[in-house]
Amino acid sequence: MKRLLPLLLACAPLCHSQQLADVLKQGEQVFQKSCATGYCHGAKGAPAGAPRLAGRGFDQGYILSTAMRGLPGTAMPAFGSTLSREDLTAVVAYVATLNGIANPSISPGPGAGAAGPPEPQLSPEAARGRDLFYDAVRGFARCSTCHEVRGMGISVATAISNVPPDAAALRALQTPNVRTVTVDGESMPALIVSQAKNRALFYDLTSVPPVLRAVDPSALKVAEGSTWRHSTVIGAYSDNELASILAFLRVAAAP
Amino acid sequence: MRFLPLLVAIAALYAQDGAPTGANWPHYGGTQFSWRYSALDQVNTGNVKSLRPVWMFQTGDYAENLQSTPIVVDGVMYLITPRIQVFALDAATGKLLWSYKYPTPRPGRPGGMTFVQNRGVAVGDGKVFFGTTDSYLVALDQKAGHELWKVSVDDAKQCGCDITAAPLVVKDKVIVGETGGDAAHRGYLTAFNTKTGRLAWRWYVIPGPGEKGHETWQGDSWKLGGGAPWMTGSFDPDLNLVYWGTGNAGGDFNDSERLVPGTKGKEANLFTASVVALDADTGKLRWYFQEVPDDLWDFDSAYECILIDRPINGRMRKLLVHMNKSGLTFVLDRVTGEYIGVFSTPEVQTWISGITEDGKLVGRKEPVAGQVTSTCPGAAGAKSWNSMAYSPRTGYVYAPINEVCNDLTSVSTAPQEGRFHANGGFTMKLPPNRTDFSHLDAWDPVTRKRVWSMPYRYILLASVLATAGDLVFTGDPEGNFFALDARSGDKLWSYATGAGHRGSAVSYSVNGRQYVATPTGWQQAITGAQLAPLFPDQAWRGGSTLITFALPEESK
Repeated sequence: MKRLLPLLLACAPLCHSQQLADVLKQGEQVFQKSCATGYCHGAKGAPAGAPRLAGRGFDQGYILSTAMRGLPGTAMPAFGSTLSREDLTAVVAYVATLNGIANPSISPGPGAGAAGPPEPQLSPEAARGRDLFYDAVRGFARCSTCHEVRGMGISVATAISNVPPDAAALRALQTPNVRTVTVDGESMPALIVSQAKNRALFYDLTSVPPVLRAVDPSALKVAEGSTWRHSTVIGAYSDNELASILAFLRVAAAP
Repeated sequence: MRFLPLLVAIAALYAQDGAPTGANWPHYGGTQFSWRYSALDQVNTGNVKSLRPVWMFQTGDYAENLQSTPIVVDGVMYLITPRIQVFALDAATGKLLWSYKYPTPRPGRPGGMTFVQNRGVAVGDGKVFFGTTDSYLVALDQKAGHELWKVSVDDAKQCGCDITAAPLVVKDKVIVGETGGDAAHRGYLTAFNTKTGRLAWRWYVIPGPGEKGHETWQGDSWKLGGGAPWMTGSFDPDLNLVYWGTGNAGGDFNDSERLVPGTKGKEANLFTASVVALDADTGKLRWYFQEVPDDLWDFDSAYECILIDRPINGRMRKLLVHMNKSGLTFVLDRVTGEYIGVFSTPEVQTWISGITEDGKLVGRKEPVAGQVTSTCPGAAGAKSWNSMAYSPRTGYVYAPINEVCNDLTSVSTAPQEGRFHANGGFTMKLPPNRTDFSHLDAWDPVTRKRVWSMPYRYILLASVLATAGDLVFTGDPEGNFFALDARSGDKLWSYATGAGHRGSAVSYSVNGRQYVATPTGWQQAITGAQLAPLFPDQAWRGGSTLITFALPEESK
């Protein structure tokens, strides 16, 4: 073993440098495709629609966390869930070299890449239900106009906790929290959000999308019960489609 | 009284009731005709050299500069910033009357194309309306600034879209467009009732199955095909038509997944890259005109529609003037959509070799997958979203034109909903053998002749204001706000405001005194930042200050 050691030592830097070169090449390709579009950054980290990335003195940890999480309040998106772990590591290493780090780390850090809690596996039917739940082609006549599930959709209704057993039950859903409010002489079905001293907040459910209204509490009359029915707003879905949506919710909305 | 028509004709060559602004600046484009022209003439070519600042307002929001058009109604100015702070100011003094701050939204869809920008509020029905970066439309009480209603126009976490345009109030409705054309997203306009916030109508740029135009899309590409009408439109009350420009189809630089095979050179991907006329009450399409069929250059026809009445061959015509980023400026009959003429504003044009008498593009130089294709103008545009102005006294439109080219790359990728989907990219570059890279032009849209042109060394990205004092105002990235003679283009006045210009100046009056107000502050994203690196010796300054000018009290 002793005789072999010098040889191994000689190989280690060589092998590492070849591996590094490969990773950086991959990183440059990812950068070209995902970052250097001209809308955002320019080639080799030049400034374009978004600021310059070369020669900014960024350390690799900062580059990694920014690439993963994005910069809230700016156009910089979070790539943590859109790039593979391998691509993310490579592009972060590449951007590090643009900032004078000649030997960036090329081992994926903890949580790098498409990490985070793995999404529960969806059956084909549940996957179809997911697509129907958020289906943009339906415009406002989709579930996510009023329901937020898995961080997507608009949280008009409270979180879904009980998933009905079938489409018939979903259509017959009782909604005791929908009441009838009267404002300026007009009555409408409403979901009351809050009734503070100087301001009452409610969703007007007359049509989709619901409208969040803020009114003087003294101008608001509230009565229990409503003519509003859940079956009306889900009318564009067939029973078969609703069954798939329920299959999705059984996985995704489980408490 | 017999002389009156003649006198009016002299006072304003091509007068149109309701198209110029007066004491107020009520809409994004001045009025719903989008002339950006004030009938006020207290400040004029004879006295403009005495114009001086009378008040300033610093918003404190330095996120991305100040791009918005202030709205002025009855002596109150309404101003919005990129991070959605709304200020109501005394328009004569700058005194703060109320302010409102929208809560910082959760970040949008990872990989989408959303930006922290806002180009203005709309005011009407006792309310102040604005869109948000998380795709809500909000109505505030005009007097006190508190929220009255708020509605989700789309789920920003899914669509990769947001609202940066000023909404347009049309009768009892407020109409708003969304961005998202470079993300995989199906563009639309949405109208809401001003009183209740309830949905009035939605018009999708891309027709669904069974609708006319759907057949111009390959397979399922219509579902995520772009076309976002992301700026502000116009309205003709006599015709009851709303006019809007639509963006390019996505993915931008490669059409292999969206163009129907065998339709190259024909109308494609309707109704993207078009001007459309919609019934104001129903949102139904009345006519369309596609300017750049199969737009492969991101030339985005999403910009202002200027509604003018002018005689052509002895007959008075209702016209619409519209420029897209290629700098081609189309003149259409706004009753029918009939093509009347076109002129090309950039001096360097290589993306086409020409255009036929009836407005068809010839010799298109399209980006090719696997190659780098150099074209002029570039995707940043001969002109971007910043608006032209039109003066009825001269009959000219005034437009800032940039001379910037780009190297395009083209790839075919599958769209993923809400994610960036340009199918390629661009690198900006300057055309060779020039020392000036922009110019402010006066064009006669009927004769289609350039009347004068003021060259400028760098680029121009602010809107233009025209006034009855025969003045044309705009600003440059170095920070100068200046006035030209509307007839000759001679520079009559300039003021160093300290920060670059990307916004839209307005004029209004309070108690008989005329004011000219301009937003200042260069911006980081997006067009300004794409072009600024072309001039590495320059460092144009950001900021977020509104500066208001007037003549000294004694001289008015």
